[in-house]
Amino acid sequence: MSLLKPFSKLPGLNTASILLVESEEQFQLRLADALVEESNVTVNVRLAKSLPLPMEHEVTRPRIDLVVFIINLTSELSFQSAEASLKYLDPGYFLGKVCFMVTNARNASAPPERLDAVRKLAASLHCALLFAEDETPDGVTNATERLLTILKVAAGLVPMATALYLSNLTRCTMPSDLDQPSFD
Amino acid sequence: MDDTTKCLLRRLVRRIPTQILKTTLEKWGRLTAAQEQSIDSTSSKWALTEKLLSICEENRWTLKHITELEMIYIIDNPNQGMWHAFQLMEPEDDAQSVELMQFKEQFKSHLSELARHVSVKIKKHTDEAVWIRIAWGDGFSRPNNLKPTYVVHYLQTPYVFVTRLTSKQKPLLSQALVLATRHHAIKDANLSGRKLFAIRDLLMRQYQQVFPSKFPRNLEEDQQTVLNPHIETEQAESAANRRQRACEAFGAGTLPQLQSVVYKLETKFKDHTNKTMTEREEPFRCVVKFASTSLLESLRDCACSGIASTPVTPLLSSIPLKGRNYFVITDNGPGPSSQTRQPHN
Repeated sequence: MSLLKPFSKLPGLNTASILLVESEEQFQLRLADALVEESNVTVNVRLAKSLPLPMEHEVTRPRIDLVVFIINLTSELSFQSAEASLKYLDPGYFLGKVCFMVTNARNASAPPERLDAVRKLAASLHCALLFAEDETPDGVTNATERLLTILKVAAGLVPMATALYLSNLTRCTMPSDLDQPSFD
Repeated sequence: MDDTTKCLLRRLVRRIPTQILKTTLEKWGRLTAAQEQSIDSTSSKWALTEKLLSICEENRWTLKHITELEMIYIIDNPNQGMWHAFQLMEPEDDAQSVELMQFKEQFKSHLSELARHVSVKIKKHTDEAVWIRIAWGDGFSRPNNLKPTYVVHYLQTPYVFVTRLTSKQKPLLSQALVLATRHHAIKDANLSGRKLFAIRDLLMRQYQQVFPSKFPRNLEEDQQTVLNPHIETEQAESAANRRQRACEAFGAGTLPQLQSVVYKLETKFKDHTNKTMTEREEPFRCVVKFASTSLLESLRDCACSGIASTPVTPLLSSIPLKGRNYFVITDNGPGPSSQTRQPHN
């Protein structure tokens, strides 16, 4: 099993590398174009449809600082592919170097059970869950900014902050009971 | 000018959209310059109809002229109604040398022998297609010009495309076509669609085909070196493989626009968890239909993105390969019906 390991390589100077995993391969292209525009840091973007990654590129691949799973809520295949890819990540990634990005949450054809399932998954892995809007350029810009914030911390470029520290603040939590009214 | 002519003209004007009406009338060329000027395209349909009826009275147009106009309109806008494809089988030795005049005479004479009171109009279009308009009548009534059948045949090819044919008229038309084109039989090609040129292009393979090769050279990839060096696709090779297989199965570029494909299944039910259904002797009949605005491009996208597994299953790749969109699928076993066909031959 070829696991992707977080600390097996040396980092680059003022560089951050992000891996975008998306079964549909649509949103990741636009995000990639926006991410490389960042001027303060050199951002390397790797795009994949699913894990495991091919062995041939193992040597040339930089150290991946953040793995983002992009899930389209209107497609069951998207969710299942992301879930199946999780087992190819070394457990070290789940200390703040993985996050989930969900698109089409407001779409009427997305069943609410799927969002709950994604929430449960993110909560059980202690990862952040981000919602993105992929149709407009503004949505892409917003998503990029949020990813860059987490990426810079995960790459160690922000002083006094580590990925694990940040993940304690940003991780997804499941509300314990959703049916009961919340005012006491 | 009698009632049927007026009725036909009214119906025709109602059918033709106002934007196309002027150009169609110009193409037809039976109006004088003054009359053409007097038609105001911005007026309402009703006003246009009345104007044309009065011009019709002036010029003394007959039914023949109006059917000519209808044919011009249909030839320019063929994508109305459902077109069905037929294939001529077992050509005689001189089938390849049938030329236009011979075909016209033979078809007209055979059809009038077979069906009394038919009115046939044949026209050759610039792109080698022969258009035939048939108004059917029976022994007791004049030909019904309100429900004509249109037939398109490309000479020297075995393909015939038909729209608006009833099952009663089918054997008559088949016989006339077979005799006029010097073949022995005609069969249903199991291909139908709304766009005439799409089904023609599919049957005659007029789309960009990709042939399987051991070392495929993708010209588009050479142009992609402009991509940012910081972005890298990890699984580019498998994506390129999928794309190659999908294009080999369906073709590259713009594909003919089919609207649907129907699979009629007569296979046995196979599911280990459901004993009652699996134990039945009779086949489980079910019909699966895929529909889209451009079906072949959708299927090719499915294969490219990995939703349909590659190499593409013969069930899907037979659509362009055999040029049909209606399949009957049975298990590999002695099938009694003559329509049965295994999907992989």
